[in-house]
Amino acid sequence: MPSATQPLLFLEHLAKIYPNGTAALRGVDLAVRTGTVHGLLGANGAGKSTLIRILCGATSASGGTMLWRGQAVRWSNPADARAAGIATLHQQIPLVATLSVLENVFLAQAGWARRGRDAPARLARLMDSIGYHLPRDVPVGTLAIGERQMVGILQALAADARLIVMDEPTASLAAPERQIVHRAIRRLAAEGRAVLLVTHYLDEVLALTDALTVLRDGAAVLSAATAAVDEGALAAAIAGRQVHRTARQAVRAEARVVADIVGLHSPGCLAPCTFSVRAGEVLGIAGFLGSGRSELLHAIFGADRSARGEVRVHGRSVPHSPIAAVRAGIALVPEDRAAQALFPALPLWQNVTLAHLARFSRWGMFPRARLEREAAGDAVRRLEIKTRDLDAGVGDLSGGNAQKVSIARWLCGPTRLLLLDEPTAGIDVGAKAEILDQMRALTATGVAVILVDSELKLLLQEADRILVMREGAIVAERTATGTGEEELIRLAAGAAPGGGETRQVHTQ
Amino acid sequence: MLGLREAGVYYALALLVAVLTVLTAALGRPSYLSPVNLVNILYQTAPVAIMGVAMTVVLITGNFDLSVASVAALAAAVNILVIDHVGFWPAMMLSLATAGALGLLNGAMVELVGINAFIVTLGTLTASRGLVLVVTNGRSLMVGTPAALTAMTGFESGRTAGLPLPILYMTGFTLAVWLVLHFTTVGRRIYAVGGNPEAARLAGINVRGYKLGAFVLSGLAAGFAGVLYASRFGAMNPTALQGEELTVIAAAILGGTSLFGGAGSVLKTVAGALVLYTLTNGFNVLNLGANYQGLIEGTVLIAAAAIYTVGGRRRAPRGEPSAPPPGAPHVHQAQSQPAVL
Repeated sequence: MPSATQPLLFLEHLAKIYPNGTAALRGVDLAVRTGTVHGLLGANGAGKSTLIRILCGATSASGGTMLWRGQAVRWSNPADARAAGIATLHQQIPLVATLSVLENVFLAQAGWARRGRDAPARLARLMDSIGYHLPRDVPVGTLAIGERQMVGILQALAADARLIVMDEPTASLAAPERQIVHRAIRRLAAEGRAVLLVTHYLDEVLALTDALTVLRDGAAVLSAATAAVDEGALAAAIAGRQVHRTARQAVRAEARVVADIVGLHSPGCLAPCTFSVRAGEVLGIAGFLGSGRSELLHAIFGADRSARGEVRVHGRSVPHSPIAAVRAGIALVPEDRAAQALFPALPLWQNVTLAHLARFSRWGMFPRARLEREAAGDAVRRLEIKTRDLDAGVGDLSGGNAQKVSIARWLCGPTRLLLLDEPTAGIDVGAKAEILDQMRALTATGVAVILVDSELKLLLQEADRILVMREGAIVAERTATGTGEEELIRLAAGAAPGGGETRQVHTQ
Repeated sequence: MLGLREAGVYYALALLVAVLTVLTAALGRPSYLSPVNLVNILYQTAPVAIMGVAMTVVLITGNFDLSVASVAALAAAVNILVIDHVGFWPAMMLSLATAGALGLLNGAMVELVGINAFIVTLGTLTASRGLVLVVTNGRSLMVGTPAALTAMTGFESGRTAGLPLPILYMTGFTLAVWLVLHFTTVGRRIYAVGGNPEAARLAGINVRGYKLGAFVLSGLAAGFAGVLYASRFGAMNPTALQGEELTVIAAAILGGTSLFGGAGSVLKTVAGALVLYTLTNGFNVLNLGANYQGLIEGTVLIAAAAIYTVGGRRRAPRGEPSAPPPGAPHVHQAQSQPAVL
């Protein structure tokens, strides 16, 4: 039995140096105690992912020791880690889309029966205990991303692990879902388990964790009890410098209208929406998961084939298709970078120029690699994309850099209206500030921005106006200076504040 | 020096030719490397290589076309049926139109209705072959007029610069497709469409158009191969080219084309087709008997796929312009295309 003072997990000088010489971890010390929540922070590329991969047995350390309940251990595959009692909730949760919620939750369970007789009852108990209910027989593929996150948490709970490693469990979640995840985390710690929480949300770390470790460039630069640090100290430790955000200049009311959205709707997911955006304006969209935020952006971009209504750019009606939208100067930075924005088989420079390829081509037909590389090189410098070279595959980039590539695509063409769908989800404070700076620089040149972000504080800070959405409809409009987080949450939650815990299944 | 995975099919071809050369010399048979034999292999490869090049484009866009051999047979049947009445070139146009229309049908069913390409083209494979039986009434067809036969011979057996014309057709078509894939915006977008269809759509690329176009190209290439076949023999029986679609697909896979889309090279597909026909030819030259042929070819195919898959793991793409690494299955997020079974 481990004694009360002995950490459940103790890493000593853990190092990971790849055969090509890249040092991902340079001797990290970390101690996680039973019954606590330990925060792990760091910029993209700081080594968090590598550390998690070592913990869950996906890769092995090249130096240092890992003590698990006092014993030196070394996993040779993920099954070892799981058997020892470490469950990992990855950022991209590996769920089987065609199986039901119930089958996914008990996927790793032993036994021959596809579905144990007591499984429904066990699932009901698990869902009761975190206060979140999903229909158990619905295929996971039909669930929204936040609901899938909850299935992943249930899966970790079902495994009865001693240590649960969570990689960005709330990255794409809106406030109510985040609350549910937070409650689940607290409950796990209270039950005597330990949670290693990887997150970019500093408020989350301060509210939830007992101790924390900040990684930078593969080394632990800060290890402390949470009570001993504040948000500013954390941000500085993560970025290695002070991160300042200044208030932005408000857009002038007489600025030209860039886009008019008139009666835009889509059967089943979007009620008619009418609004306009001015040059240089940032229009924020607030709302919970499934409130129709992404659907609105997709409808504006023409990516929703069943959408009806009118989108006008500079007074000209734009046909409903992404092809026409791009031609009219509308750009969409989608929520799911890997699935919706990036081409892993193409090198970085080709990823950047793809949407406006004809501009870099002789007679619009023959791409000129030199011009393309120049444009991609400019974008890399301007957005501070950290990459080996322009030929790197985008699959290798960290989240923040991949997001910057997705944004860079629209900087090399005549973008008039930029639609940003959760551009800072899962991105560290430094890269986040760079992306937001870039957005401001664009608005200064007259680009209009529609910004969807689950982080209300960020919306209030960056947007001029905020539209609040609920159940596929715009329910309120506020100026950013005339409202606050509480009011936005209340508006987004509707008549029953605190509702939304038992969510409807969101189907496409 | 290129890596095994990037250029494996060229090494395989070179190795195969070397082995056969040594064996024929050692056994005292006519030299394998004689110009006559090499030209013969190229000539035999041409129809499959032409279909394979178009198949590669279909595979790059993330689709699949099983129907090519049946469509080629139908085009050949149409050709022989009408050539006595309308003359060589109109007959060729009719053949190409028939095959192109079937390609369009494949593309429309896959892209507009949303049925899985495997199923659609399995259907057109069966139906086209059925149509061949209907129009031939199950009997062999023969060209009747000497004029038509002369025109066909000129088209298929004529030589330019000492090379049989089909070799030039193959070279011309392959080069044209290679140039389009590597040096035009169309080519770049074809790779993008196959690499990540949803991202391509959200980047303002006409995804459906490119995927549909690939099917039409595949149909047209099959039609042309059918005309070559009809012209070679001036006759055909209803089972002509049966099963040849598997050789075409095997050539593309030997060339390292990914079945998941987004990667592939038409030059390597031609090399893959050459490997298969070199094997066939080698069996004939060495008098080894045809019984072992299928076994060896199948083994070669799986070995090639294994090399691509194992060699392709955890490798980042390097910046060869417009040439993403072939072979390794790039697993993508769930495609939005519903599979109707």
